[in-house]
Amino acid sequence: MRTLLNLEPMHLLGLIGALFFLTAPFTIPLVANDFWVSIVAEIMIWGLFAASVNLLFGYTGLLSFGQAVYFGMGAYGVALGVDVFGLSFWPAALLGVVTATVTAFVTGIFAARLTWHYFAIITVVFSLIFFFIAVGWKDLTGGDDGLPFNMPPLFKAGDFELTLLNLTFQYYFILVVVAVCFVLMRVILKSPLGFAFVAVRENASRAGLVGYNPYMIRLVSFVFAGFFAGVAGVLFALFSRYVSAQFMFWTVSGEGVVWMIVGGSGTLFGPVLGAAFLTIIREELSIYWEHYLLVVGVIVILCVSYAPKGIMGLLNSCLDRGPKNSPKATSAISAAVADQKGDLK
Amino acid sequence: MSAPVLQVEGLTKTFGGLTAVDKVNFFLPGGGLHAIIGPNGAGKTTFFNLISGFLRSNSGSVIFNGENIIGRKPHEINRLGIARTLQVKSVFTGLSVYDNVWIAAMGGSRFLNPFKSARSYTSITTRVESLLEDMALTGFTEELAGNLSYGDVALLEIAIALATQPKLLLLDEPVSGMSPSETERTVNIIRGLSKRLDVILIEHDMEVVFGAADMITVMNQGAILCEGPPESIAKDPKVQEAYLGASGDEEEFSA
Repeated sequence: MRTLLNLEPMHLLGLIGALFFLTAPFTIPLVANDFWVSIVAEIMIWGLFAASVNLLFGYTGLLSFGQAVYFGMGAYGVALGVDVFGLSFWPAALLGVVTATVTAFVTGIFAARLTWHYFAIITVVFSLIFFFIAVGWKDLTGGDDGLPFNMPPLFKAGDFELTLLNLTFQYYFILVVVAVCFVLMRVILKSPLGFAFVAVRENASRAGLVGYNPYMIRLVSFVFAGFFAGVAGVLFALFSRYVSAQFMFWTVSGEGVVWMIVGGSGTLFGPVLGAAFLTIIREELSIYWEHYLLVVGVIVILCVSYAPKGIMGLLNSCLDRGPKNSPKATSAISAAVADQKGDLK
Repeated sequence: MSAPVLQVEGLTKTFGGLTAVDKVNFFLPGGGLHAIIGPNGAGKTTFFNLISGFLRSNSGSVIFNGENIIGRKPHEINRLGIARTLQVKSVFTGLSVYDNVWIAAMGGSRFLNPFKSARSYTSITTRVESLLEDMALTGFTEELAGNLSYGDVALLEIAIALATQPKLLLLDEPVSGMSPSETERTVNIIRGLSKRLDVILIEHDMEVVFGAADMITVMNQGAILCEGPPESIAKDPKVQEAYLGASGDEEEFSA
């Protein structure tokens, strides 16, 4: 039996985190300014975006500086869906996600052929191409000025209307979508496909020798990452009721990489921690000092040099040092199988 | 007589001006342990790289169980039933021994279901566990592959290759760097394997080769020098010449 008392420390922290996100719209106003609820909502969106970078780098070994392309495609998909095609909420959201995923597939056909710095470079190139298209095509995209749009209701029956203009509802909408995405990502990572990602990351030529097609595995990972980035983009467009070509600039991709590295690459929730930590620093410091990014830079340098697994890695090693912890099983599957056998007894 | 397992004809690979594998004809009737020996630079590993799809040949054909596999990608060749180990041991160093073998056992699947838990594949689990037992790796299942001793990494690599259920196994110097007792154990394992599937072994350790192999092919300077059972190879003057050099001054260049 698992009770709160014999819960592993990491699970306990997870539980506290989940409780925080579930109750934030009610607990935050008790201790801080209301606008922090919006910040937490924003953190969840950026956490999902950073997780898409992490799916590529942390699990498949591909460092992408181009995830903003799919983020921007998701955002433009929903905005143009509403503004140009006059779609209602769900079809517009779907259009955003599909646009992002299809773009990821088409660009992935080329990018997945490459690895390491070549891959990083081609993703930057894609990022710039799409950015300049978005900036140049001002009639459609609004270019640098951006494109505000009117939020259609999520659900309407007679006089009853659900819209994201209600901030508490908006918060929970974002929470549910992000949570579903993380559950999906966890399911994928625990599946044979997830193990294939890791196999390609660890040793692509060995993976090929045991029957995996490294190119296909990279492409599939790339498409999934594009999907998650697209969902984040859709959420962010709905959240800010506005899109701009700036969403696609490669610095947005770079931020995703930074959040992932600071939070902990190769861990499911590390990117959320990274996004949270650096967003809070931004909100707190930028009031006092316009050059707050220097602080972020120092943190990133320290992380890369001394904590390659980021905040999550630091947490893990702190908890492992605890007296009652036996060495942790390194094999995910055999641990799961052992678990199962234990359950049967 | 049944068709040969592997039939190589006129296989050639050049790197710039160097002909690493030179019009090699090789015939593996199947059954038993076949060793390939030869001095350094004889082209043994290049020959393996051509068969397993790591390198593209300049000309020639490789027929495996009636199918020409020249030009196929490594993963396609593996799915046809050829598995190999590498001279520089190649495993998934950041993963546990168990996961290493599990990933290899799953590699042949055409579809990797992203929505099904990895733990639910019971037939794979059984195969992995029995392989770990065969290779005497049960003590290290949770250990990171990168933390294993050199000898155990070699055994793990054989387990990985076997997990793909090959019909033909190519072993590239599996016992190099092993202690004498590890070598003996590994040779026994390889002998046992060769009763179930076809094994081609590249090896430098003459004691191992002449003690274990049913058939030996000697390569020198990219070409096959001679072929035969261990007794006749041991006596062959051409082999002694290749290893010891015919004259003193030639020896200095071949080093």
